[in-house]
Amino acid sequence: MSDKNSESSLSNYGIYTISENLEFTLPNVEIKIEKMGEHVFSYVRKDAEENILKKIIPIKSSDLTIELCPIRPLNHPARRTSHVYLDFESPIFLSEGSAATVFVSCPIEIGVFLVHGKHKDSLDCFTCDPAHSRFCLYGSPESGTLCKYTKSEIVESYEDSTPFHNGILKINIKNELDHGFTISKIVFPISENSLYYKNSKTIIDSLTATLKKKLALEIIDIDANSIQIDWTRSPTYEAIESVRHMDMGVD
Amino acid sequence: MAFEFLQSLTDIEIVGGLTVLSLFIGGIIMGVGIILARTVRLLFSKYYAPKLPQDTAKNFGKLIYFGIIILSFLVFTSTTGVDFSGLLVAGGIFGIVIGFATQSVVSNLISGIFLMMEKPVKQGDKIEIPGSDITGTLLDISTFSARVRRFDGTIIRIPNESFFTSNIRSLSSTPVRRSEAIVGIAYKEDIDGAISVIEKQIRKSMVFVLTLPKPEFRVKELADSSVNIEILVWHPRDDWDQVGPKLLKVVKNALDNAGIEIPFPQRVIWQAKD
Repeated sequence: MSDKNSESSLSNYGIYTISENLEFTLPNVEIKIEKMGEHVFSYVRKDAEENILKKIIPIKSSDLTIELCPIRPLNHPARRTSHVYLDFESPIFLSEGSAATVFVSCPIEIGVFLVHGKHKDSLDCFTCDPAHSRFCLYGSPESGTLCKYTKSEIVESYEDSTPFHNGILKINIKNELDHGFTISKIVFPISENSLYYKNSKTIIDSLTATLKKKLALEIIDIDANSIQIDWTRSPTYEAIESVRHMDMGVD
Repeated sequence: MAFEFLQSLTDIEIVGGLTVLSLFIGGIIMGVGIILARTVRLLFSKYYAPKLPQDTAKNFGKLIYFGIIILSFLVFTSTTGVDFSGLLVAGGIFGIVIGFATQSVVSNLISGIFLMMEKPVKQGDKIEIPGSDITGTLLDISTFSARVRRFDGTIIRIPNESFFTSNIRSLSSTPVRRSEAIVGIAYKEDIDGAISVIEKQIRKSMVFVLTLPKPEFRVKELADSSVNIEILVWHPRDDWDQVGPKLLKVVKNALDNAGIEIPFPQRVIWQAKD
């Protein structure tokens, strides 16, 4: 009950036009935007550990327009990788030749964008769950891939997104191997997936994971698929960069 | 009038068929060559170099520049009609003398070429030269020397020969690095309990320590006054400064908060009776 109450008092994602003052209440984070002068606003973000970030925003118009939205979980504690490692709480077993569709949780970060005309400039980004924003290594220390790590729950539908903490990702898994297989993790470059939001929920572009043989190796081939949905698509916070396709080995 | 002036220049011979006019034309050719070399290098560095790795682009730039200069010189020698064979013989002998006198310079040059070909490290890499107290970021490898910016902000120049023949430890060729620390706990303390306390604190407060591979704990030594535990943690290669220097502090705070004793060396002295 208390959780529901606290959720209901949280702000929603969206585009806000501020003429005087506005406050956002997010889990562990508070944002205050105040008008300082005719064309100047201040932006202050305070987290649970009392760390304060302050920015002054001079603008041409008298109102400030910002967009608060989910972004890819790649910027906190620092931008080091484009890959995400989803470690499933409950591994998925697929028998030979079978296929399944699962919804899994995937961490997100929150982006604040300054909107002017058709342009959206990255103003700030943060995570509401800093305790779980960690890195891991997939592969060997010599040639592995650095990833953002998260424990991922298997959920029922897109509606199970936890506001400001995670988004829901649909994965279509297909086993083309000649034996059954248990999948306990998925590693993929999330820079190819867009995020969509509605109120305080988030959806991430879906993935197709195909277990197959490539030469003598058994691999999981992962591709991103964009989804058609009437939710609002988040702008991209980080600079777009091409990511080398990586075949994920099975083990 | 001008024709007559040029005609008069052809009549003035400096040495062995080299006239003032041919020298003048040669000068123009060399001048054009230098301008062309600079222009081509500029165009290359503007349009093509950004698409290449930094050190490759730099080497290509030098190759283009000096290649055009050498070509201009060859054109200059062929237009003057001067026989340089005598000069080459003299130059050869002179070269041997100079070679002996400047062995280290030549050695640095050759080492530089091999370094550019082998590329044991590239521009921007963090490197360490064990045994010589040099750790820092490689700025560049030029014709005769390599420059390294140490972490204290100073720049050190290393002759290519010594750089080429040294052991070079690259600190940024792998995606992750490992940091270690050793801490001693009192013999009366529970080892597993202490490890659990340290692990929890590392997970909580060290955001750059990797979740996988997990932090590793080894009982390193049953020492004179303490049980020494070695702590090994992995982190992204560029974040050593967020982990290495802070690890011991985090470990000590964790043990202090849990009331686990970190003993100091103790010696019991027995005094013999007279």
